[in-house]
Parts: sequence; C-alpha cells; structure tokens
Amino acid sequence: MTFSEARGLPVVTLGEAREIGVLASLALDAAAGRITHLRVTGPRGRKETAVAWKALHAVGPDAVLVESAVPPDPGPSGPRHEVLGRRVLSEEGDERGTVQDLVFDPSTGRVEKVVTTLGEVAGDRLLGLGDHALVVRAD
Amino acid sequence: MNELSGARELSGRPVVTLGGDAVAQVRDTVFDGPAGRITGFTLSGRGLLAGPLRKSLPWSAVHALGRHAVMIRGVDVLAEPSAVVARKEAAHGQVLGARVLTDAGAEIGVVLDVVVEGGTSGRVAGFRINARESLVAGSRRRRRKVFVPRGETLAVSGRALVVPADAVRFVADDLAGFAARVEAYRARGGATANGVERGPLP
Repeated sequence: MTFSEARGLPVVTLGEAREIGVLASLALDAAAGRITHLRVTGPRGRKETAVAWKALHAVGPDAVLVESAVPPDPGPSGPRHEVLGRRVLSEEGDERGTVQDLVFDPSTGRVEKVVTTLGEVAGDRLLGLGDHALVVRAD
Repeated sequence: MNELSGARELSGRPVVTLGGDAVAQVRDTVFDGPAGRITGFTLSGRGLLAGPLRKSLPWSAVHALGRHAVMIRGVDVLAEPSAVVARKEAAHGQVLGARVLTDAGAEIGVVLDVVVEGGTSGRVAGFRINARESLVAGSRRRRRKVFVPRGETLAVSGRALVVPADAVRFVADDLAGFAARVEAYRARGGATANGVERGPLP
C-alpha cells in the first residue's frame, strides 16, 4: 500500500464504528524501517490525535480500523518530522532528491520503499529522519 | 577518486547527523601544518543570524564529506573548539594567500583556495592559485586562476608553499579537469628527472 492511497482514509473504531477522523500523516522510526504512529485529523479538520501502529486492527483499502479500547496516545516522542517532501541525503552527504511517497506493508507497518524524485530507496536502507533530511545508506 | 571541492565553498555546508538533524554549519576548514589533510572544522549555528558555535568538528569524527552536507554519526561527536583550533595556531594560521614556489625556485603564484577530496579521506588534492602567468599550455584563454596538484614533497614554511617543479605540468583550469590531473600526477610515480619527460598534457 502507498501512503498516497492511505491518506484521507476514514479512521473508524472497531466496536462502535465511530469515525474518529481521517488519516493525515505517518510517523516513522526510520532506523527500524517502520511506521510507529498514524496522525489522525478529527472531524472538520480540528484536533489531531496520534494512534500507535500496534493499536490498529486493520488497514484496508477503504478504511483504517482501530481497536475500540485505545487509550489516548501521547504520540511519537521527539520533534515532529514529516516524511513527505523531506530532502533525502545519502550517508556520504550527497542529496538524493525529495520524498514523494512511501510504500508500506499494511499488516506490519514495515516501510518497503521510499519513492523519491530520483527513484526508489528500499526501506531497509533508511538510517534516520530529522529536521534536515531523511538519511539513507549507500546503495 | 572522490569529488573535489574548494575549501571555501565548504563554508555554510550543513553538518548533519545520520539521524537526519542539521546541528551546525561549517564556518572554516582547518588544515594540518603541511596542508596535507583536513584537521577539522570550526562551526557556526544554523541560519542567517547564527553566530559562531562553541563547538568544533575534528576530522576523526566526520562520517563523510559530501557535496551537500558534512555527515556525522551524532551530535555527541562535536568537540570543544580547542580540539581543532589549537592545531590551527600550531600550523601558523592560514595557507590562503601563501606564495607558491617550485623546488626549482620559481614563484608561480599565490594560494586562493585549498582543494579537498570528498568522502572519508580528508586529503588535500591541491590548491587553486592565482598564477603569475598562464600555466595551462595551449589554453587560449590564458586563465590565471588554475589548479595545481599538491604533490608529496611539498613543504610549507611561513607564508610559502613549495611544490615540485613538475607539478606545474599537471595544472588544470577547472575542477573537473583537475581531478584527472591529480590522478595522472599521482600515477606518474615520483618526480621525473628535471621535467625532461613530457607530461600528459595534450
């Protein structure tokens, strides 16, 4: 699944079928190559909440289902870094385009590929996502 | 060989951790006494109004010197300013502006910039000099700003650099051509006798 497909999907609780908002963005643990949280924008674009990946029941083509008894999540620790549009830098210090999309496994949250303006980078080559760049290991 | 760049253009290049955070930017590049290697970098904060940073980056802590960033493992590798600057003073200051003499005693110009290799070597490949006369044979443009390979027998004394006389046969007038000349100069296997043998100039 790509992030561009998942963005905007309704996020619905499993027990009550209550729509808590729409999927707005993803938080990554780049070094681990996985998605840690979804950021969900509430109704009418208000109030953003975070949902931990492990609290998800399913990510489907038409909706994201979360377990009903989800405690409010403080969200990922540390400053927020959007991955889309982020500059990509090789560990040698050379720019490698900017991030356009992510391909991830909807059952595990593993990042399979990062699609950049200059091509694709395998998810296991990610080293870190910071305020300046997404750093990737050399080919 | 890795990409070459002039040390002057390193100023302002971001210092980025493998975690992707820009923690500083390069202020000045500091060289060792014989100007053969980069000792490290002095740093300033990020952004237009940021002043000098009370930290420095010793070369040993550099992960890689790239075209767009100086990569480091983490912010904890930054050291006290003295780790780099103390050595700068020991090297009697800057090599910029130093006179360039051949070992045959001819003054060929003054140093405008130091050309360094990218990657992990920290090596100085040569110098950009303001030449007294055109050193590039057959160049109609008679460019006076040329690149001279550093050479292995170079000496630095006070405000002058001494390069082997045959180094001037390996000059180039742009960085792209210079990379090939440095390779050729290293491959020539030591000094040739009195420069009688023709160099690889066209």
